[in-house]
Amino acid sequence: MNRNNTISLKFSFSAILLLTFASFSIVFSQTLPSKVPLKIETSKPVWKNANRVSNEGDTPAEKSIAVSENVNISLCVAEGSLKINGWDRREVRAYVSGGSQVGFTIVEKGKENTAPIWIKVLGFDPSANKENNPDECLAGDTIEIDVPRNAVVNIKSKVNEMIIDSVAKVTVENDSGDMFFNRISRGIEARTYEGNVTVEQSSGTMSLQSTTGNIIAFDVSPGDIGDIFKAKTSNGAITLKNIGQRQIDVASNTGSINFNGSFLNGGQYSFGTSNGSINLSIPLNSSLKILASYGFGAFNSEIPMQNVERNVPSRVQTLSAQMGGGDAALKLSTVSGAIRIKKQ
Amino acid sequence: MRDNCFEIGTIQAFLDGELAADVTENVARHIADCDACALSLAEAEDETAIAFSALENELNMLVPTQRLWLKINDSIEQRQSSFWQRVIAFLSAPTSLALASLLIMFGLFAAVTTLRHAENLSPSVAQNDSINRNVGLPVIEPSINIEQNPLIDELPAIETAVAVENKNDYKVTKTSLGKTKKLKKVTEQPKLKFAIPNFETNNELKVNNKELRMPTNALSGEDSYLKTIASLTKTVDIKKDETLKPSARFAFEKDLAVINDAIGKMQVEVRKNPKDESAKEMLRTSYQNKIDLLNSVTEKSELMASLK
Repeated sequence: MNRNNTISLKFSFSAILLLTFASFSIVFSQTLPSKVPLKIETSKPVWKNANRVSNEGDTPAEKSIAVSENVNISLCVAEGSLKINGWDRREVRAYVSGGSQVGFTIVEKGKENTAPIWIKVLGFDPSANKENNPDECLAGDTIEIDVPRNAVVNIKSKVNEMIIDSVAKVTVENDSGDMFFNRISRGIEARTYEGNVTVEQSSGTMSLQSTTGNIIAFDVSPGDIGDIFKAKTSNGAITLKNIGQRQIDVASNTGSINFNGSFLNGGQYSFGTSNGSINLSIPLNSSLKILASYGFGAFNSEIPMQNVERNVPSRVQTLSAQMGGGDAALKLSTVSGAIRIKKQ
Repeated sequence: MRDNCFEIGTIQAFLDGELAADVTENVARHIADCDACALSLAEAEDETAIAFSALENELNMLVPTQRLWLKINDSIEQRQSSFWQRVIAFLSAPTSLALASLLIMFGLFAAVTTLRHAENLSPSVAQNDSINRNVGLPVIEPSINIEQNPLIDELPAIETAVAVENKNDYKVTKTSLGKTKKLKKVTEQPKLKFAIPNFETNNELKVNNKELRMPTNALSGEDSYLKTIASLTKTVDIKKDETLKPSARFAFEKDLAVINDAIGKMQVEVRKNPKDESAKEMLRTSYQNKIDLLNSVTEKSELMASLK
């Protein structure tokens, strides 16, 4: 009798365990696919498989090359501080201390003579390099490059400071760091993601952008009729003084815009912020047609205006007015900032 | 026989040991001196012996008493046994086994049926469900009233947030398919939480970092902005951690919040007055600012890649 009970007990347990296991198997087989988290492909930067070629010598790396007067110069800088200076020679000289080697490669030569019209400044010497896949970018503590005054410079960089002086035209994209441009004669296209941009005594078409940083420009003029001035920062102030372009487009997300100068006849000027004030300091005899939109801010002018029309269809107020003869068009827009016009 | 002889009943009681002690002593002393009582006692003993021998099987009180004690002891042991011992004992019963098997089979059937039903749901529903899990439920932080959106005519039952007079004039109401209601100002301002519907058009924006939707016909070209922003946001969400340093990340998030706030404010104004060109222009500019900001992250990532 006892033996029969034991057998019955074992059978019961076996049956229950088997059924339980089967049920869990079925349930998990049904639910697992939907429980698996979605695999998100994380796109990592495709890093260039390059080897930096260090300068093993006791003295800084320095090389020069004869070029055309209007040479295009391309370079990338991985680290360091960069200084480019224009001089009166038809020659490019590169100097790197505490970092990579330096060298040149000629991309294109001129048709009339053999002087290069487009070169690359490299972080290694192509004629002597034995490294596989060498890094083309310059790197070092200090990088100085002398170029002809009429040179056009194209830079991609990650430098903590950049100073470019007395060249014809600059196109630069910098990761982070402050940039200073002085005496650039034919225009600047500058973009930094973190850092200030300062331009002075320059001319030509200007396009200045900073994601996080201030933009300062003064004594800027057009090189040709129709040259425009654009400045945009997401998080920073924009300060402009004596900008001579007749078309100015300035925008800031979270930062104020400060303009001190004159609006020229026939000019078109636009200033806009999301969350920042717009402060204009202009002559008392300015000739403007003003169209201002301010959502949650205010408008104030020290200079008398005529033909003032206010329209308040909603919280976004619009104001149209005129100063003087109304020869220039001024458009002001802010979502949450104030607009102030002061007399110089 | 002596006069003080005891009755046969007393003698029988004496024999059965049912008398009191003093009476038993008196009876015993008397029987020792009285032959008649002694004879009666002998006869009673004989009769008792005959009766017990004849009824031995029925009157054997020892065996049932032991069985009773065994049962009592078993019962006590059962009460004192462990939970698992009782469970085992319960499950060992054939009826329990049958009942358990039946329940398990029923559970299996119910689980399989439920899962198959879930698999048969429409992809959009499943997608929306996943989006809901990712997005979370936004909360309007300030005390605001939201009135039913009069511009959405053909939407499923959802909770919709629409501006009425200003940012303090909102109310959350549920609307059903194809029904519209006139706006009315709501005076009370209870704190409300509301769920955000998932539209296929993905036309979303954020107010106070909480996602909102707006009618597609409020601003021409808005869908393009929103789709671009949604696409860029996905890309940036993947890249921003490895592209932006903490300080830059902080600035980015701050800028994004400001832009979202501007978008939200202008969205409200455009909804309130769809012919407000200034508000539309500001809304477009805000969208473009957001696109530019998101683009800056991807462009920076590309720059870093080119510089290794």
